[in-house]
Amino acid sequence: MDSERTEEYLEAIYKEQSKGESASTSFLARDLGVSQPAVTDMLKNLESKGLIVYKSSQGATLTDIGVERALGVIRQHRLWERFLTDILGMSWDKVHDVACKLEHLDVPEVEERLAVLLGDTDTCPHGHAIPDKNGNIKRDKTIPLTKFQPLQRVNIVAIDEGDSGLLREIEKKGLKPQVIVTIKKKNEDGSMEIEAGNKKISLKPQLAAILLAEPVAANKLIAAKTETTLSKLDAGNTAILKEYTGERNLLGRCLSLGFTPGSVIKMLENYNSGPVLVKVHDTAVALGRDLADHITVTRTENAC
Amino acid sequence: MLGKPENKMIIVALAGAPNTGKSTVFNLLTGLSQHVGNWPGKTIEQKTGSVHRGNLTMNIVDLPGTYSLTANSAEEQIARDYLVKENPDLVVAVLNAASLERNLYLVAELIELSPRLVIALNMMDVAQQQGMKIDAKALGQELNIPVIPIVASKNQGLDELLTAIEQEYHQPLGSRQLKHIEYGSEIQKVIDHVAQLLDDAMTAPYPKHWTAMKLLEGDAQINKMIMGRAAGEQLSSLEAYLREHESAAVTIATLRYAWVEKMMAATQEKPPMGRVSLTERIDRVATHPVSGLFILLLVLCLIFGLVYSIGIPLQKLLELHLIEAGHNFVNAHLSAPAWVKGLLANGIISGVGTVLTFIPILMLFFAAWAFMEDVGYTARAAFVTDKFMHSLGLHGKSVLPLVLGFGCNVPAILGTRIIDSPRSRLLTILVAPLVPCTARMAVITLIAAAFFGSTAIFVAIGIVIFSLIMMIITGLILNRFVVGGEDSALLMELPLYHLPNPKIIGLVTWQNTVAFIKRAGTIILAVSVVIWILSYLPHGEINTSFLADIGKFLTPVGKLMGLNWQMMVALLSSFIAKENTLATLGTLTGGQGAALTAQLKVLLTPAAALAFLVVQVLFIPCVATVAAIHHETKSWRWPLFTVAYQLLLSFAMAIIVFQIARVL
Repeated sequence: MDSERTEEYLEAIYKEQSKGESASTSFLARDLGVSQPAVTDMLKNLESKGLIVYKSSQGATLTDIGVERALGVIRQHRLWERFLTDILGMSWDKVHDVACKLEHLDVPEVEERLAVLLGDTDTCPHGHAIPDKNGNIKRDKTIPLTKFQPLQRVNIVAIDEGDSGLLREIEKKGLKPQVIVTIKKKNEDGSMEIEAGNKKISLKPQLAAILLAEPVAANKLIAAKTETTLSKLDAGNTAILKEYTGERNLLGRCLSLGFTPGSVIKMLENYNSGPVLVKVHDTAVALGRDLADHITVTRTENAC
Repeated sequence: MLGKPENKMIIVALAGAPNTGKSTVFNLLTGLSQHVGNWPGKTIEQKTGSVHRGNLTMNIVDLPGTYSLTANSAEEQIARDYLVKENPDLVVAVLNAASLERNLYLVAELIELSPRLVIALNMMDVAQQQGMKIDAKALGQELNIPVIPIVASKNQGLDELLTAIEQEYHQPLGSRQLKHIEYGSEIQKVIDHVAQLLDDAMTAPYPKHWTAMKLLEGDAQINKMIMGRAAGEQLSSLEAYLREHESAAVTIATLRYAWVEKMMAATQEKPPMGRVSLTERIDRVATHPVSGLFILLLVLCLIFGLVYSIGIPLQKLLELHLIEAGHNFVNAHLSAPAWVKGLLANGIISGVGTVLTFIPILMLFFAAWAFMEDVGYTARAAFVTDKFMHSLGLHGKSVLPLVLGFGCNVPAILGTRIIDSPRSRLLTILVAPLVPCTARMAVITLIAAAFFGSTAIFVAIGIVIFSLIMMIITGLILNRFVVGGEDSALLMELPLYHLPNPKIIGLVTWQNTVAFIKRAGTIILAVSVVIWILSYLPHGEINTSFLADIGKFLTPVGKLMGLNWQMMVALLSSFIAKENTLATLGTLTGGQGAALTAQLKVLLTPAAALAFLVVQVLFIPCVATVAAIHHETKSWRWPLFTVAYQLLLSFAMAIIVFQIARVL
């Protein structure tokens, strides 16, 4: 169980470090629910193993070996979360705690098979990037929603999953990763008014604080470059329908099946010849390739 | 009348998109009380049935499954014309809770017609498995329409549904404030403007405002109707305005979906982002170009395995105990003139027997078909074969009816109803008779075995492949030169997989079997009697009969194929049913079984035998198939075309084969 403790520390330090801060003893004590002296003991122990650099004035930062270990644990944690939601069908507010236990299993074969089973997922259910098996992780460029200003359009990328009650509230409001929202108002107390689609949503301070987002402007730039036809979208990717350019007599059928501008389309299967299979408005629809050639879309995934 | 409750009859229309379990709801509500017919002038099935509840009799009309009420297809036109013209007392919208977003779109359209509406929210269990939480009550409040959650596949909630229908019926019409879609001032102005250009007489029986919207949506049927009725300046200004606002169709649909989203927000908790459902997991394999085809082959092998291990033995058994026992009984125990005996044994009993002995095989095919439909596999089979089928001008959905054709061509032709593109459907109907059915296989097997010894199996397989190649070539030719119209693109929903419901499969199998007996049975019997008469008159002996005369008349053509008049008569008799070829040869040569084989060797050279196999596999489809083509195309043009085409094709091919084989 010693290694389990170690891993939890490394994970906590990593998360703090990825925000650009070093982990103070008081932060770790709060985060891990232990006393400060215990934290100090453990940090010294970790330093002696060469996993961290610890200065009592500044807190702890990970060494290269430490980062590698931490990412390994995080990878397992997020893979397990995916497994719990996608395969076992658990709701996203419950999986964090269970994954905290499973992440220490550390059997390479299990991890490998898990990754194969889950296919091409690269984020956890809460939107955080999963490090690849070589320990590379997409750089996190998100900032909390509270840092944005009114009238800015932002894309919600991830949600801090610490509090399951808050997650449930977020879900109820229809917010999830890859939803684009506009900031309407920021209040003194940290609560916010935002708009998603045409729906107004008010967020209490705790909710606004756990939403991590990135500005859409940058996204739009990429989007302009990634306008393509539906037939060229790879399986697993999502896009937003721009327009239908095919024959008028098929327009009605396309519209009634939900291919309206602005609809989110997820490509399920595309074998580069023959029909494609997409998900639109909650339903799987097969489209002939000719038809898919005549639907223009903009990709929504982040290109970095 | 006092104190006596009045018995009241109301009409309830069942509306819903495909794959909502609407038929299941209909079947459970009406059970065996249902009547299956066709919509007037259409080949689309119309099902009606009734339920009694207290002193209320509900006549339930199952509308065709539609995604919208814009006439993009014949189904949609039927559904909305019924709603507008027949004005049912109440409409039940059956929705699939697992794809509520898609399904609420239809509700958005139904509300515009302002009927009494009750929503049956079906497949609540599936939605739950998908991780969705749906609040039916909240949806009801949001829409201000009664919403009844049901699980039709488990027979749950139907009683509540009937109660709700009853209650809603007693509400005065228009007492509910339905939440119409707010189309926004801009598009509203456009709709209003179009409405101003119209007048009530022009749009009757459709409401004016509604007609205006459908015109903007590009509804072909409404457009044709209005343009036919409008004239002069009215026509030109309308045309110009519509052309100018072509994009309104997209705007209206988008606004409807926005309305749907608003309704959804209050009622559904979505599953966590990016969850991959079991269906998607299975589809990764089932729709893959390689593994998907492999699975399809496996499924087909399984079906044919069943047919050959259960269906054919059963058929043989029935032949033995029905036809032969019948013949024996008539010949041994009946004291009547010879012609009466002949008519009974060879005309009627053989005719009825042909139909009856075919039923086990048909039922197996129908059951397999219903199973695949119920589970949701049909759409996947269509998906993996679409590319190839498309190159023939066919549709992915053509593949299963054609496979059915290996059992019997009649259900294949009836089965083409699943193809929603009229053109692909017609093409499928026209090539289906070139799929060698079990009856033709039986003839091929026997004749190949008689002439080709150890290589018989290869000859038989070769003939089947030859026939399929002819089918493909025919498809290519018809697609290019004969059948007109637009090539239609594949656009279909792939429903979620679900466990099969034995009750529904049983019911569908039963209905199809009954339909086959009704449609094909009577015709086979009639033609069987006619052919017998032709074979009996004028001298009571087949060798000098009218039938023989026809055969002898065909001798010049027969000679080119190496066939004598007996073989030509045998070929002609296959028009009743393909397996009759053997029975007729038996009668003509006076031999059965091994004796027939010996006789055949006298009558035919191996080259002629090969030619006979070719001509028999490609020959005019049997009378039941021709009748089915007539029934499904609602014309005499296509069945006659098929007869003429296959007559020419079979003779031409047989002549070529014989002339080549003779030299070799």
